[in-house]
Amino acid sequence: MRHWLPAVVMFPLVAAALTPFLALSRAHVARAWALLVVALTSVGAVFLTSRLVIEGPFSYAMGDWSRPYGIELRFDGFSAAILFVCLIHLLVGVYSSHYAARVISATRLPWYYTLLLLNFGGMIGFAVTGDLFNLFIFMELVSVSSYALVAIGGGRVAPLAAFRYLLAGASSSVLILFCIGVIYALTGSLNMADVSLRLGETQAPAPIALALGGLAAGFMVKAALFPLHAWLPDAHASAPSPISAVLSGVVVKLGILGLLRVYQVFHDAGGAQVAALNEVLVWLGAASILAGAFFALFQDEIKLILAYSTISNIGYIVLGLGLASQQSITGATIHVLNHALIKATLFLAAGALIHQTGCRTLHELRGAGHAMPFTSFALAVGLLAVIGVPPLAGFPGKWYVALGALSAGRPAFAMLVVLSAVLVSAYSARILNALYFQPPSHERILATHEAPTSMLLPVLILAALCLVAGVLARFPAALVGPAVARLIAPAAG
Amino acid sequence: MDALWWNLDYVAAVILFCIGLYTVVARNNLIKKLLGLNIMETAVFAFIVTTGSVDGGAAPLVGADALPPFASPVPHAMVLTGIVVAVSVTALALSLIVAVYRDHRTLEADELREID
Repeated sequence: MRHWLPAVVMFPLVAAALTPFLALSRAHVARAWALLVVALTSVGAVFLTSRLVIEGPFSYAMGDWSRPYGIELRFDGFSAAILFVCLIHLLVGVYSSHYAARVISATRLPWYYTLLLLNFGGMIGFAVTGDLFNLFIFMELVSVSSYALVAIGGGRVAPLAAFRYLLAGASSSVLILFCIGVIYALTGSLNMADVSLRLGETQAPAPIALALGGLAAGFMVKAALFPLHAWLPDAHASAPSPISAVLSGVVVKLGILGLLRVYQVFHDAGGAQVAALNEVLVWLGAASILAGAFFALFQDEIKLILAYSTISNIGYIVLGLGLASQQSITGATIHVLNHALIKATLFLAAGALIHQTGCRTLHELRGAGHAMPFTSFALAVGLLAVIGVPPLAGFPGKWYVALGALSAGRPAFAMLVVLSAVLVSAYSARILNALYFQPPSHERILATHEAPTSMLLPVLILAALCLVAGVLARFPAALVGPAVARLIAPAAG
Repeated sequence: MDALWWNLDYVAAVILFCIGLYTVVARNNLIKKLLGLNIMETAVFAFIVTTGSVDGGAAPLVGADALPPFASPVPHAMVLTGIVVAVSVTALALSLIVAVYRDHRTLEADELREID
């Protein structure tokens, strides 16, 4: 039973490597294979999470090489996010079965599923690894497969958007590797728990500040925080819609999870540097909330609005991290999970609208709400959730962050969280207004039919989850609670 | 100043890294941007390899004549893995550049910005 943890990491990666051999000329085999692999991995993820609930965080030493020599896998409260990764990838897999066959050329289709599985396996590995260099490897697996997936659909903008994404992503990866090198030079270890202890004993404030700042900056690029966000909108908007859902829902959160790991590593060392980083995160998070929502107001393409909305939501999460109280970090982690559900709903629903009508802009999509009632309803639920209307999925995360701002003695940021909902409502209202209350501007809209079942079903399941996730937020809160408490506890010794 | 002199290799790596970053940000041609990225990667690999050196250290091979001190083998393993990652990133970037050129017949970033 103790081998479940490495099995869940290795299985999707091995399966991804096998996909081209199994199904290079048979796309339907690749599709079935990908769904099977994700479903089996999900079973493993459920099993791991139940073990976490029963006995708390647990580790696995690869090849029985113990700390600090071997690679350690560690499953803690934050790693339980792989449940959401599995869920999103499963629904995206179902959604792709019709969509990808239409949008992506037949020769590329097996590679599409290969890359999707690599992305999936890399994300799971990133969430459960306890080794810094291993963290870098899994990050690169996720990143490189994402660059390729952005471009896989073709089109005029996509390859260029993918190249810009690659430049930003690879530069930040190199910066992160550099800082991992600095940490190794300082401590002589790569195991996170071990590094954390040894950094606490190191008396070298300047290199510690360099490593902390570099790692944080690198992960901020990955998370598309405001001044470092320029690569995101084009990449997320020009990718195929299921890929946009994965990128916005899951891949961007890699930066957030990375920041959480950085906090864990530097917990015992450099309290002053961590406090300075918190201050930077608070202000950049606040700027990100406003800038993302503000830019979203001026877009006409529906997927670009959603992409800017992602930047805004990452702002809430980073603000929560920077405030560094129990409530605000809990709120940030809840919002990481719930925003994954919301943004997957929105991008998959928007993808269905674009696929059925052939129109991408709000102007052309006018009146589509009546032609595609179920898809538009799901989109509306997602938009209400992203505003943060109380029982829906977007509410608890923002609520906890606002409470955390109050308990940290910074009421201005609590006000910002509440008032920014006005900006978010404004861009959400523009989409809803176009879909429901404007007469069609395009005769194609009138002849449009509802999306096929394989696309509609994942969208409706996600919309239903958006409805209930707000009420169920205490379960993830209970799951990450101990991990957050360890994060903000004063350094031992 | 003395500390900088004794860690000249680290200083060189940081300067090389900054040259690469400047190239990525300031150059207009997509291929030159990619070369800048490669310079950054080389700087990091050079930095990590030098962290493993030990004064008078021998290669850490098992054998009858193996005598400490040994150079640390971990940075070399890291850099080898890193090179594999860097090669795959470069290959992907070049193929994207080919796709961009086929669509737009230019690789200058400012001209590409005018197109979309």
